[in-house]
Amino acid sequence: MNRILAIETSCDDTCAAVLEGPRALSNIVSSQARLHARFGGIVPEVASRRHLELINPVIDAALEDSGGDLESVDAIAVTVKPGLIGALLVGVSTAKAIAAATRKPLIAVDHLQGHVAAAYLEPDPLEPPFLALIASGGHTLLAEVREAGTFAIAGQTLDDAAGEALDKAARLLGLGFPGGPAIQREAAEGDPEAFGMPVAMSRDGGLDFSFSGLKTALAYAVRDLGAEETRERRADLAASFQSAVVGQLVAKLGRALDAGDWDAVALGGGVAANALLRERARDLCDERGVRLKLLPFELCTDNAAMIGSAARFEPPVAHPDYLALDAAAR
Amino acid sequence: MILGFDTATPDTAVAVADRGEPVFEGSAGPGADGRPAAARELLVMIEEAVAAAGGWNRIATIAVGRGPGSFTGLRIAISTARALSQARGIPVAGVDSTAALAAGLRERDGGRTVVGVIDARRGEVFAAVDRGDGPGEPVVCTPDELGAALGGGLEGALAGGDGAVRFRAEIEASGCVVLDDEDRANRLSARQICLLAANMGPGSAHHPAGVTPKYMRRPDAERWLERIDGS
Ligand SMILES: [Zn+2]
Repeated sequence: MNRILAIETSCDDTCAAVLEGPRALSNIVSSQARLHARFGGIVPEVASRRHLELINPVIDAALEDSGGDLESVDAIAVTVKPGLIGALLVGVSTAKAIAAATRKPLIAVDHLQGHVAAAYLEPDPLEPPFLALIASGGHTLLAEVREAGTFAIAGQTLDDAAGEALDKAARLLGLGFPGGPAIQREAAEGDPEAFGMPVAMSRDGGLDFSFSGLKTALAYAVRDLGAEETRERRADLAASFQSAVVGQLVAKLGRALDAGDWDAVALGGGVAANALLRERARDLCDERGVRLKLLPFELCTDNAAMIGSAARFEPPVAHPDYLALDAAAR
Repeated sequence: MILGFDTATPDTAVAVADRGEPVFEGSAGPGADGRPAAARELLVMIEEAVAAAGGWNRIATIAVGRGPGSFTGLRIAISTARALSQARGIPVAGVDSTAALAAGLRERDGGRTVVGVIDARRGEVFAAVDRGDGPGEPVVCTPDELGAALGGGLEGALAGGDGAVRFRAEIEASGCVVLDDEDRANRLSARQICLLAANMGPGSAHHPAGVTPKYMRRPDAERWLERIDGS
């Protein structure tokens, strides 16, 4: 199974990539972020419609960039879960039909396995065992990766995902969507200690995350300040909020390192593109003498190269056994 | 031969026709959970249909129901059609799902005006009328607006489809005679998708991107946004 065409449509990015082993020959991402910005968040029906418009040209571009064509591909990989069901179905229907029409095997991939498997891509791949912190708009978890193709969840969010918390904060502060980059831009001018934000740390040493209290604290701060003062102090509010989100992520990562015998950490998911998180994780890992794998930005946010990377460790399903394969929201 | 399929209604319908003669016809209703089975059944049935036709090399055109109907259903059918086309280099033709439904009604009762009515959810229907000169453009309306939306003259017309059955009283009030609940002609037949595509003639099948869904309704979020902006 040498060359894989991978397809990812679980959320609001339409993605296709061609991989040869751990090397991405092409990695096309057509982001819909601008389309959803006016709604202040991702609208599933809008995302699904856009996926249908983009999926075939994105696949064509990925094949062309790879220097090959469909014939040169040995298997088709596709994200089947978790995600927005209508969005997933565009990718799954497309992948199944391409595979069936060419009698090629199909590989069903879990999106979260994809975020972990982004660490296996060249250049500079990270081999298990390692601890992965995956934080994005849809998920926040600490994963213990002992061998490629599988992981155990050491901790996960009990309410909002980290990226979702940043989105909500950006909305409260009138900063637009997506929230992560908007908060980061605004925070650059602000004082992260101006407002005391709670860092939710359960006393039992647990590794689960919680961001809803933080969001409530910001909502109260905004209410108490009033519209005008909120606008004046927006940079301080953004910086304080960002610092608290990153603080919790890094604190739990530190706890997880304490609890196990890890000598490498990988950071993934869209929030892993955040500069403060990268800096604080770098400090933590340096302090512990642990190797930190920071993925390039294009492999942090959703992409199909990571799906193709995860597909290398999943069993290919031969034609026609995948014809009835369905997508799943969770 | 033409491979035709449609998943705009709760049925997954697939057929192959050879110069108008059906070679294969299949239909699957909703699954045990009551939800449409298109995601699971469509490609399974397409492979059966293509095998019955003698293989992909015998398929000259892919005809797909482009709606109106279930948004998710349209996307499953159209993404499947486009991907098959992309992989096999076979042109795709888009057919209105309401037209296929109306064509089935005409075949059943040729002398009358027929109205294909698909349940559009939220108390609305998608519908198209055929007064003997071929099925018209689909409309979306509430069932009691059907007569006005289709330009009137529905007295004695034959109406069928899951929308006609569901809103029987309202549709009958518009002058139509609605088929019995169990009548097979209430269900869209993919053979009609094939026949309509064949009658569109050469030049009507395109590059896959040329076939686009007929949603007939914008996403709710866009309508809400407009209401907020407009107020
Ligand atoms: Zn993701």
